[in-house]
Amino acid sequence: MSFRYFRPLIGHPFKGVLFTAKFLAFAHLCLEYGYSTAPAAGPSMLPTFDILGDWVLVSKRHRYGRDVSVGDLVAYSIPINEDLGVKRVLGLPGDYVMIDTPESGSEAMIQVPQGHCWIVGDNLTASRDSRLFGPVPLALIRGKVIAKIKPFAEFKWIENPLKRPDHQ
Amino acid sequence: MAFASRLWGRARARATATAASQSKSAFARQFTNYLIRYVSWLPPLIWFNTYVAQVTFINGPSMYPFLNSTYNESTKRDLCLVYKLYAQQNLERGMCVTFRSPTDPDKIVVKRIVGLEGDIVRTKPPYPNEYIRVPEGHIWVEGDGDKSRDSNYYGPISARLVTGQITHILLPFSKAGRVRWWEHQHRTGIQRAA
Repeated sequence: MSFRYFRPLIGHPFKGVLFTAKFLAFAHLCLEYGYSTAPAAGPSMLPTFDILGDWVLVSKRHRYGRDVSVGDLVAYSIPINEDLGVKRVLGLPGDYVMIDTPESGSEAMIQVPQGHCWIVGDNLTASRDSRLFGPVPLALIRGKVIAKIKPFAEFKWIENPLKRPDHQ
Repeated sequence: MAFASRLWGRARARATATAASQSKSAFARQFTNYLIRYVSWLPPLIWFNTYVAQVTFINGPSMYPFLNSTYNESTKRDLCLVYKLYAQQNLERGMCVTFRSPTDPDKIVVKRIVGLEGDIVRTKPPYPNEYIRVPEGHIWVEGDGDKSRDSNYYGPISARLVTGQITHILLPFSKAGRVRWWEHQHRTGIQRAA
């Protein structure tokens, strides 16, 4: 490595700007199609995530609900506002799910429509989820939560808790 | 700036060095150089297409007669400019928008916004209820043509699904120009919320 590799850049501010733009675009590509992080705030996922300060690692390979299965945690765009949410998938297209909380007394069920999924929080009493805004289009799913990364001391991989009976 | 130039210099030095050590041919060195020069433009291009603007062909008859006016006479398709910057904001009735289909997340479809949140819409046949109030954060979309699978089929859609707005028609030349959505004749049966 010698100075001649720097020479085209020094004295050409435009090239520096261009390089920065290309680098930022590449970083953005990695965050959009590879892995990214998201905050898991609020009481809706309480036993799994704390109310404040927890961050999760999101795999964007599962964007638009690709290879997502029942029991997975997903990061999704909340259909009725501008925010991002983290919830658990309870039903995929064709599944029958309960519309209301079991304690409510209602036992009405709904079949999740084509291209949608049913999403609920782990803390049913303090969660605004599909029980409020109905089935969520798979197109709004940003990715699957694969690990809790913050606080660092509590790092853990997140696995689907549902297991086949014959795997025990 | 200095850091960026150092990185760039190191990457180029390494690329040329490995190419030279492996084959020592001028071809390999030149090839790697060109690869770095052109492939590094891909990420900005993808970013631009996802967040700023995209040129795309329109498939199918759902916006007939506005788009693909000759869909039953020829295989020609209209070429449109889709503007994607802040596409989910300032949505208005009459706009042509692209969005991810709620029934198939891998498909992007083009429809016209008929109702915004709070509007009461008189629906068309496949929909089970005669009237519906468009919920919070949702829009009611319909195609201009008869052959359209739209909100009358799958209900109001979340505005978060919107990916872009069709602002210009580029081809055919006879129709080319700005999409004057604000001059669109709205259909009857919409009671506006505001």
